[in-house]
Amino acid sequence: MRHRITILLWIFLMPGLAAAAPNARLLLPDFSALSKKASESVTITLDPNLLAMAARFLDSKDPEEAQTIEVIKGLQGIYIRSFTFDSDGAYRASDIEAIRTQLAAPGWNRLVETRSRKTHANVDIYIMVDKSQAVGLAVIASEPRQFTIVNIVGAIDLDKLHKLEGQLGVPKLDIDTSKAEPTPRAAPAPKAP
Amino acid sequence: MKKDLESELREALRPVAPSADFTRRLIAQMEAKSAPAAAPPRARPLARPLWWVSGLAASLLIALGVQQHVRAQRELANGLEARRQVLQALHMTSQKLDLAYEAVKHQSSSLLDSESGA
Repeated sequence: MRHRITILLWIFLMPGLAAAAPNARLLLPDFSALSKKASESVTITLDPNLLAMAARFLDSKDPEEAQTIEVIKGLQGIYIRSFTFDSDGAYRASDIEAIRTQLAAPGWNRLVETRSRKTHANVDIYIMVDKSQAVGLAVIASEPRQFTIVNIVGAIDLDKLHKLEGQLGVPKLDIDTSKAEPTPRAAPAPKAP
Repeated sequence: MKKDLESELREALRPVAPSADFTRRLIAQMEAKSAPAAAPPRARPLARPLWWVSGLAASLLIALGVQQHVRAQRELANGLEARRQVLQALHMTSQKLDLAYEAVKHQSSSLLDSESGA
């Protein structure tokens, strides 16, 4: 009888608990129309099962791959959409507007916003923090002939990310791990042409 | 001369009654011939199921082996593909972070230059 009550409590409480936890997974739009126009497109969808499977196929004896295993250990998903075009202006800013709208929701904070007049490359880095722990990362990179959306879901350990820096071309971002609280949101980014 | 030949032929081909034990011998001979042919049907019911069972078992084992092999191959292919995607994903992420880093670095150095110039 007591077990039944416990089970029933779990059934009723679990949806509430799940709703309370912030969800860093972005709803990526269907880019099939853009995919047809693109000269090169990359679609990566890695859910927890695939990440676990990938970890099994990474060599833990190899120092670089061992660190990659450590980085992906706490992740719940990696989602990437990237499109490269043969000409400028093949995509519109509105194509990524749906993503920006989601990133304007509470929980997400813009960490970095860069606009290059020279290369017209704009990069926005967003981070979702929950209880002093980064639980989500989003990158929107738009260039005249390319745009990329990266969404990493899960416990992103900045220390581990530090260790991965320099490998796989990951730059040193000088992320202060003690700075768990995100920086104040920057001014809205000007829309890409 | 002709009559002699005829009489000789008649004598030779005259109907002869079978001996008293002819029927018994004929039956005994028929039984003796049919006896070895009757033996195999007794053995067949034992041999046939053995062949079927062993053949079926061998087929099942082969099918299971093939299934295991196909599953292992599929898992290997999926795992390698997942590994490739993870490495590609991290590489692409790093590329974009690098783009932001370069922009921030460039901006910082420009600010420092303008401050030192002032």
